[in-house]
Amino acid sequence: MDRLGYTAMTAANRTMTSLQVHANNLANVNTTGFRADLEQSNALAVNGYGYDTRHMAQVQNNGISLSQGPLMPTGRELDVAIKGKGLIALESGNGEVYTRNGNMQITPDLQLTINGRPVMGEGGPIQLPEYDRLHIGSDGMVSVQPRGEAMMTEVGRIKMVDVAAADLIKDATGMLITKSGQPAPIAEDSVLVSGHLEGSNVTAIDQLVATMSLNRLFETQVKMMKAAEDLSQSGNRMIRGS
Amino acid sequence: MSSALWVSKTGLAAQDKAMATVANNLANVNTTGFKSDRVVFEDLFYAIEVQPGAQADQINTVPSGIQLGSGVRVAGTQKVFTDGNLQPTGQPMDLAIIGSGFFQVESPGGEVFYTESGQLQLNAEGVIVNTQGLPLVPAIEVPNGSKSFTVGSDGMVTAILPGETLPAELGQITLVNFTNPAGLEALGGNLYRETISSGEPVEGIAGEEGMGTIKQGVLEGSNVQVVEAMVSMIAIQRAYEANAKVLDAASGMQQFLNQTV
Repeated sequence: MDRLGYTAMTAANRTMTSLQVHANNLANVNTTGFRADLEQSNALAVNGYGYDTRHMAQVQNNGISLSQGPLMPTGRELDVAIKGKGLIALESGNGEVYTRNGNMQITPDLQLTINGRPVMGEGGPIQLPEYDRLHIGSDGMVSVQPRGEAMMTEVGRIKMVDVAAADLIKDATGMLITKSGQPAPIAEDSVLVSGHLEGSNVTAIDQLVATMSLNRLFETQVKMMKAAEDLSQSGNRMIRGS
Repeated sequence: MSSALWVSKTGLAAQDKAMATVANNLANVNTTGFKSDRVVFEDLFYAIEVQPGAQADQINTVPSGIQLGSGVRVAGTQKVFTDGNLQPTGQPMDLAIIGSGFFQVESPGGEVFYTESGQLQLNAEGVIVNTQGLPLVPAIEVPNGSKSFTVGSDGMVTAILPGETLPAELGQITLVNFTNPAGLEALGGNLYRETISSGEPVEGIAGEEGMGTIKQGVLEGSNVQVVEAMVSMIAIQRAYEANAKVLDAASGMQQFLNQTV
């Protein structure tokens, strides 16, 4: 049997999987703080007995794009966006997770949360007192004016970390985690902007162009499958001698 | 079947919901005391086909796995409690809260609802009610024929009663605040109800302990920014189109495969 058909099949398969990655990026084009997934494929040798029979194409998730998304002013004091490098640390059941989504909420028991996960301070989740006014500084320092008092007091500093894109992966819920599973150290120089949210860093144009190119690539692969079929048919005809 | 089809379908559905929210905001651009809604998007779960960091063999690890996202969903809508524009009306019964805080009104069932709309009137009994006729809490009665109705910045209500020359105190309008106002349940008609996530209402006097002050003769308009709503409308529309394009591409691939092979 000819192997060409199978090789073309793996390539067509790869195209469809890649399309899903781009479809997911585009679906999240308006998701606050979303980081685009990158995708690439590589050649995978299929080992035979002593020699390689063929090479298949295989999709490989090539990590996450950490490029800056657009900052959008919201005017809400609990919205924060990171300018430049950095990630906000949150507490989850299995250690720390990281996000660029700065849409903070206060729980009735006065904890700062994002997506239902407590926001980490330098020494654990940030717990607020009953307060009248709240301010978040550019270094992540949260200060409040406790109820009935005149002066602002500092209650904690939002933990921001700086992890290289190559060391980050997404967990099943879409939060960023470190590859090693170890919590990342605090980055001192990350800059927060209060009253803003960072949009998704997906550029619709890039994703659409990738979609179109994958579409054409798929057609090419299917043509190759058809060519493989034609080849084996003419081979059969030759053997039959008709 | 191609899962890209389903992923872009979630994108279309989420953008559609976002558009409904923006439409509602724009529809209420002139509603007194209306607070705009904001859609919160969240990416759906990731199918991790190959775990990154897994051992490929005894020596090598897989450098990066394959994680396929499955789309987007609307995680919820949030009320944004920024201040609206103040519109002077000159009407003595129009009150606005400058800063945070809610008025309380009582439903016929005895439940207390919260509102930021201070468009008040008197009912047949002379009791101060909101536009739906629900009495303010604490209830304040203005005797028939009273003159120069005045509400102080701390909510103190005074008026000159018939046959008197000096103003008399009729009561004090108190305000309430919540730990997490975004967690209030919007009932429509500018009314909110407390929920577990909003926390308990904290009652106080206007101007004290973080409560806003009350201003008479002014109404707080909606906090919807028309230009902002228009821009997000365009962004949503374009995102919808882009997702529709991917849907088309995924379906085109299937079609081509079916026709060719």
